[in-house]
Amino acid sequence: MTTRDLVLAALFTAIIIVLGLIPPVTLGFIPVPVTAQSMGVMLAGCIIGARRGAMAYALLVVLVAISLPVLSGGRGGLGVLMGPTAGYIAGWVIGAFVTGLVAERLVREGQSGLVQMGGFFLASILGGIVVVYAFGMPVVSLVTGTPFAKVALGSLAFLPGDLLKAAIATLAARAVMVGYPLLPQRA
Amino acid sequence: MLTGLHVTGNTAMHRLPAGPKLAALALASLVLFFVHSALPLALAVILTGTLYLRLGLSVGEALRRVRPVLITICLFGLLNVVLVSPLEALSSTLRLLAILFFAATVTTTTSIADFMAVLTRLLLPLERLGVVKASDVGLAVGLVLRFVPEIAARHATLREAHRARGVPVKLHRLLGPLIISTLKDADSIAEAIDARGIRGH
Repeated sequence: MTTRDLVLAALFTAIIIVLGLIPPVTLGFIPVPVTAQSMGVMLAGCIIGARRGAMAYALLVVLVAISLPVLSGGRGGLGVLMGPTAGYIAGWVIGAFVTGLVAERLVREGQSGLVQMGGFFLASILGGIVVVYAFGMPVVSLVTGTPFAKVALGSLAFLPGDLLKAAIATLAARAVMVGYPLLPQRA
Repeated sequence: MLTGLHVTGNTAMHRLPAGPKLAALALASLVLFFVHSALPLALAVILTGTLYLRLGLSVGEALRRVRPVLITICLFGLLNVVLVSPLEALSSTLRLLAILFFAATVTTTTSIADFMAVLTRLLLPLERLGVVKASDVGLAVGLVLRFVPEIAARHATLREAHRARGVPVKLHRLLGPLIISTLKDADSIAEAIDARGIRGH
C-alpha cells in the first residue's frame, strides 16, 4: 500500500464523517429522513475504488470502536458496533469493496457520460444496497429475534431513499471522474 | 470538533485495563446470547445498568449517549411483542439492553490511547503476515481527526458560494466539488508524510 492510498482512504473517511454532520433532509415523497452519510458506501467504491474504499470504511469502524462519535447523529462507541444494526456496519466495508469492484470493471475514462453513469448506478445498487442489506438484515433478525421475512419487508420502506442515494452518488462519482479521476482501471 | 466519548474518572471500571474490559464485553455478549430466560437477563440489565449509571455521568447525559441504539432496541422489542411473542420480545430486549449498557460502560471508561494500544496488540498477528502495519492505522486515525474540521469548513464555504450566487444549496451539487477539492490534497499530504519518513521503510 502506498502512502497515497493510505491518505486517499483517510481523506475519504473524513469526508464520510463530515457527511454525517450535515443535518438529514426529509424528502417530500419519502417518510424516511435521508442522511448524506449512508451514501458514503456508494461514493467510496465508485470514486476511490474497491481496496481503498473498503479501507476508508474499515477505518471508520476503527474510529467508532475507539469511541469517536463519527456516525450520523453523533453516534459512536462500542454500543453501536454491538447493537442490532451491527450487520449493516460490517456490510458497509464489504459493500464499499463490491461497489468499487463493479465500478472498476464497468467504468473507464473515455466512455460516454451515459455509459459511465450507468456503470456507477449499477455498482452503487449492487454494493451499496444489495450487499449492505445482505449483511444487515440477517444480523437484525438473529439478534432481535424478529422473523427475517418481516425484517426484509420493513426494509422495503428504505428502498426508494436508497435508490435516490444511488442516483446522487452516481452524479457525484461522474463529476469526480470528469474532474479528478482516481478509480483504478481493471481489464 | 471530534471528541471521544471517554470520561475521566476513578471508578473500578476506569482502573481496569482496556484489554480485559474488552475481553469481558466480548465474552459477556457471547454468553448472554445463549441465555433465554427473562430473569437472569433482567439481572444482567440491572447489573450493567447500575455499572453504567455510576460512572459519574448524569442520568440524562448517560441516556443521551445511548439513545439512538436504545430507540432501535425498544422499537424491535415492541415489534416482537406483536410478531413473535411477548415473552421472547422481553428476553431479546433485555439481552440487547444488557450488552448496550456494558458496551457503553467500556466506551465511557476507556481512553482513545488505551483503545489504540489494544488495537495495536490485536493487529500484531496481521502485521507479522505483512497485511497491515499498526503504525499505519495510527497514522490514518490521526489524518482523519486532522482533516474533518477542514473538510467541514470547506463544505460550509461551498454552501456560502452557492447561496451567494443564488443557486439553491443541494447535496448533489456540493458533493462533486467537495470530494474533488479534498482528494486533490492527497498527493501533497502523501509527499509530506514520505518526506518526513513517518512510515519508515
